[in-house]
Amino acid sequence: MQDVLTVQGLCKQYEGFALRDVSFTLRPGAITGLIGRNGAGKSTTLKSLLNLVHPDSGDISFFGQPFLGHEQQAKQQLSFVMGGFTYYPMKKLKTITAATRPFYTNWDEEVYRRCIQRFALPEQKTPRQLSDGMRVKYALALALSHHAKLLILDEPTSGLDPVSRDELMELFLALVQEEGVTILFSTHITTDLEKCADDILYIKNGELVAQTGMTQFLEEYRMVSFTTPQPPAQAAEKLVGCRPSRTGCEALVHTANLPIDGAEVQKAGLEDIMVHMERA
Amino acid sequence: MKALLQKELRLAMHPAALLFLGLSALLIIPNYPYYVTFFYTTLGIFFICLNGRETQDVLYSALLPVAKKDIVTARVLVAVGLQLLQMVIAVPFAVLRQRLIPTGNQVGMDANIALFGISLLLLGVFNWVFFTKYYRNVQKVGMPFNIACAVYFVLLCVAETAAHVVPFVRDKLDTPDPQFLAEKLVVLAVGAALYALLTLGACRRAQSLFKKQDL
Repeated sequence: MQDVLTVQGLCKQYEGFALRDVSFTLRPGAITGLIGRNGAGKSTTLKSLLNLVHPDSGDISFFGQPFLGHEQQAKQQLSFVMGGFTYYPMKKLKTITAATRPFYTNWDEEVYRRCIQRFALPEQKTPRQLSDGMRVKYALALALSHHAKLLILDEPTSGLDPVSRDELMELFLALVQEEGVTILFSTHITTDLEKCADDILYIKNGELVAQTGMTQFLEEYRMVSFTTPQPPAQAAEKLVGCRPSRTGCEALVHTANLPIDGAEVQKAGLEDIMVHMERA
Repeated sequence: MKALLQKELRLAMHPAALLFLGLSALLIIPNYPYYVTFFYTTLGIFFICLNGRETQDVLYSALLPVAKKDIVTARVLVAVGLQLLQMVIAVPFAVLRQRLIPTGNQVGMDANIALFGISLLLLGVFNWVFFTKYYRNVQKVGMPFNIACAVYFVLLCVAETAAHVVPFVRDKLDTPDPQFLAEKLVVLAVGAALYALLTLGACRRAQSLFKKQDL
């Protein structure tokens, strides 16, 4: 099956920051999480996909067609949401929808009505009157109404409470299963991804350091803890991002480097992996 | 383009820009620098762009399935629409001013055909300066407007002063209609042509600048 998105050698140089040779693909019907700490290059990567930020080099293809030269066709089939729906905070949702509808050749009013009901969106209200979670849902309603096959979301769960985040993850899963959409979303809240992501893209200092399946990524690492303040000297070079803990010290270790004498080994969560890799 | 223009009117239009159209009525004030009347539409355009920054209008537009250059064209067309609408609304007030108050405007140019021609030129210059600076960085609206305003007011002062000191302007253009109709119609035609050229040039330049801009 054709990849939904292919990115090859994406580079963008800023003063003090560079996106270096970012390449990845998105499988159809998968939820892919783009993780990395603040300032790692997540938003720059996502904005570069749609040429909102002009990359210095790199090739981007949506649905098998290069984005440059087929920009409008690609945008008909995807939706890009930055944060929640933060546009036109004083306009009623129905006014925004009425202004948005004519742009999409595949607009499906029936689907839109269904989304409005499903997400309990009050059309008479303005984005400013909606909660953060409802704003994301409104953005999703607009995306689904033009049958977007790919949803790109930049930090959609930022600022949401745990219950709203959980609801949103459940919704993402439902959208993939029911509508067959592909989702790429960036976040630094790694627990969200553990609930729903199939694949992981991990970006660090502008470089993609991991592109793999979620399960495989988690299986690649383990957490090891020691009861001493410093790890044994012979183990030190196998450890990633060693840090003090309440009972001694702990670090991340690649499963290929196990076993380690005197270490208590536990499964590593996405947050553990990210935190320790960022310390390395 | 139709969808973009609808979006401009539904989502981007600032109510003040429409209210300012009513200020065309300033032309019936007996003595007033009438060139100022048409300045208010430029203020309306500034409000639309400023409001657009606050509501993230440019980003929203850039995410829609439209060409980036069309986003600029739609905004310039809205500006042109407002400017020409203000001119049209001002016509009956200019006629009323001349019929009701036979004495000329003591401040500067009379409300006559030449005033409209020179005002079109001023608006064309405003469009050129404002849009070619604004679309360099859509996050900065204030400075392009300040510069465009400064240029507009310098030219406005030159035009008003000319009505007092330049013999051709004072004796032929600053007179009630239909006196020296041919000369005034030429000024109107030249003003309209320069307005069209400057605005078209501004649109093209702005499209090119906006295309390169990171949002």
